[in-house]
Amino acid sequence: MAMNLNWYMKRIRKNKFSKKLDVREIAYLGMMTATLEGAKIALSFLPNIELVSFFIILYAVCFGKKVLYAVFTFVGIECMVWGMGVWVFMYLYIWPLLCLLALQFKRQKSAILWAVFSGIFGLTFGALCSLIYLGIGGPKMAFTWWIAGIPYDIIHGLSNFVLMLILYHPVSHILQKIKMYGINE
Amino acid sequence: MGEKQSGKKIGIGLLAFAVVLLVLFGCWKVFSSQEKNEKGEKEYTLVVKDDNGKEKKYHSNTDAEYLREALEELEKAEDFTLEGSESDYGLYIEKVNGVEASFDKDGAYWAVYVNGEYGQYGIDQQPVADGDEFKLVYEKNTEK
Repeated sequence: MAMNLNWYMKRIRKNKFSKKLDVREIAYLGMMTATLEGAKIALSFLPNIELVSFFIILYAVCFGKKVLYAVFTFVGIECMVWGMGVWVFMYLYIWPLLCLLALQFKRQKSAILWAVFSGIFGLTFGALCSLIYLGIGGPKMAFTWWIAGIPYDIIHGLSNFVLMLILYHPVSHILQKIKMYGINE
Repeated sequence: MGEKQSGKKIGIGLLAFAVVLLVLFGCWKVFSSQEKNEKGEKEYTLVVKDDNGKEKKYHSNTDAEYLREALEELEKAEDFTLEGSESDYGLYIEKVNGVEASFDKDGAYWAVYVNGEYGQYGIDQQPVADGDEFKLVYEKNTEK
């Protein structure tokens, strides 16, 4: 354990300010992308109940801004699985935004507060998505689109809240262990 | 002291979540009913069955008296297209969603069904009532 800790401290000193990814980090980011895509597909039969928000928040909190690589790769894979659509442009700003917002609160350790954060993100998901329609059809189209989707936003917000509340502690505990050997922020 | 502050943060967080939830629900209650009224009082369903037997369903609202006007509204709102030629009986449907039915070529035509029954009118004279189900079906006359 002591040796692992020394090795980890050396890595931090060496790579703390490095923007480059090493082989280990690339492998971990690949695994993160795979879990994001796997989680997305696994729950895709349920309307607006998803684990992508949960994983992006936890990855961002544990591994820092390098997680953006995994987020953009995930969007690229989604394009390959589902084809191109307006939603691709939504995903290109929504998931990175979630990642950046989560980084602002990364010192927070309370499962309830993270559940609130994830829940509010779910509730505002439709409003954030509708921004793209401001450019396509103007404010009225964006507003109508947002209003029509509110029941799904409510499902999204409540399910995000519950999933984070249940899974935050067990999954973040595992991720902290992985962090010891993996990515430096 | 720290626990007290943490408890306060959690309380504020939960309150914020509840407020956003209630505001969202309120917006939906208020504006979705307004949207419905703007769209029209009569709800109807349209099913398009193409030459491959594939069905596409539309659900919409209208204040239009006759089906043609309702379908023209639908063209603007949904992924639905309707083309045809004007005749003494109104629009003779030739293309729906880009699928052409040519009676002269192979006896194909677009049939109109109203609530499961074969329609008695063209779309210009077919009245629209609340809850109606219309069907545009690609059919072929095989009689020679």
